[in-house]
Amino acid sequence: MYSFTKAKKKNYFKEDTKLWLIFYFISVFLYVSFALFLLVKSYFYTKYYQSNNQNIMILNTKISSLSLQKENIKLQKTLYENIMVKNSLIKDSIKNLLDLIPDPITLNKFLLKKNSLIIYGITPTKDVYNLLMLPPLESIFSNTKTIFYQMPNGWYKFKSINTLKGNNETAFN
Amino acid sequence: MKLPSIKFKLPKLKIYGIDVIKNALFFTFYIILTLFIIAFIMAPSIKEFKSTKNAYFLSEQEFENTKQTYQSILEKLTKLQNQNQKILNAFKRNFNKNNFKLFAKNYINIIKITKQNTTPYKDKFIKTSYMITAQIKSPKNFYDFVDNIKNYKNIIRVYFPIDFEKSNKEINLTFKIEHYKLTAKAEEKAH
Repeated sequence: MYSFTKAKKKNYFKEDTKLWLIFYFISVFLYVSFALFLLVKSYFYTKYYQSNNQNIMILNTKISSLSLQKENIKLQKTLYENIMVKNSLIKDSIKNLLDLIPDPITLNKFLLKKNSLIIYGITPTKDVYNLLMLPPLESIFSNTKTIFYQMPNGWYKFKSINTLKGNNETAFN
Repeated sequence: MKLPSIKFKLPKLKIYGIDVIKNALFFTFYIILTLFIIAFIMAPSIKEFKSTKNAYFLSEQEFENTKQTYQSILEKLTKLQNQNQKILNAFKRNFNKNNFKLFAKNYINIIKITKQNTTPYKDKFIKTSYMITAQIKSPKNFYDFVDNIKNYKNIIRVYFPIDFEKSNKEINLTFKIEHYKLTAKAEEKAH
C-alpha cells in the first residue's frame, strides 16, 4: 500500500513522561549533590576539629610545662628570701649577744651553735656576772651552767654553757 | 493449566490533551521519592553536618581560650623571670673560693675556706657546706659582710657554728657557709 507520509519512529517514552523523568533526575541530582556537599563540609569540620584538639593538647602540655617553670621560679625565690632572712637573723643573734655583755665583763671567745652558746670571758667578781650577765642568759636559754676559775689577780675566768631545749629553736631570735 | 493473564491498564482521563491520572501518579511518586531522599540521605547528612559543625566551633572556642590562657601564663612567667633574673642566675652558678675571698675582702679577711660536704636539698637543689676561717677588726665587719652577702653572685647562707675569738687587736672568726645551687636536672627543666 502506498502512503503519503513516512512511518515515524515510535518514541519509547511519551513527551510528558520524558519531562517527568528529567525532572526526577535533576531533583535527585540536586538532593544528592547537596547531601554530598554537606558530607564534604562535615569531613573538613572533623579535620579542623581534630587539628584543634591536637593543638589544644599541645598547648595544654606547654601550659603544664610553663606552670612547672613558674613553680620552680617561685621555689627559688622563696628559698632565696628564706636564706636572706636567716642570714639577717644570724647577724641579729650575734649583735644581741654582744649587746648582752655588761661593761665590767670582758668577752674572750664565744661559740654559737644552733641550740647552744658557749661563752668564755673574765669577770671582776662572781656577783657581777650573776647579777648582770646571768639573768638575760637564763631568760633566753633553758639551761645555763657556768664554771669559774680564779685568776692570780683575784678576778675570775668563766665558761658559760647555755643550751636550748627545743631542736628547732635558735638562740637570740 | 493456563494461568489467567492479568492485564492492567490505567484509565485515561484527558483534559486539554493532558493525561491527568498519569501525571498525578508521577507527582505522587515524586513526593514519595523526595520524602525518601529526605529521610534516608538528607536528614543524616544534615545531622552529621550540624554535629561536626558544633563540635568544630566548640573546639575552636576551646582552642582560643587555651591559647589565651597560654599567652597569659607565658606573659606572667616572662615577667616573673625578668623580675627574678638575678636570683635565677645565682642559683645556676658554681661556687668559686677565690672569687668569694675577693668579694669578702671588703669586710673580712678570709684565711682559709675548707669544703665540708655536699648534700641534696629539697630535691631540686644541692647544698655545699664550707668552713671559713677569717679575721675581722670589729664585729661590725661581720655584720656588714652578712648584710652584703645578698649582693653576691651565689646564694650563700651563713650558718652555725660561729666562733668568735679575741686575739690581740683582731678577732679570729670561724663560721660555716652553705652554697645553694640548682641540680643539673632542675636546671634543664627550668628552660
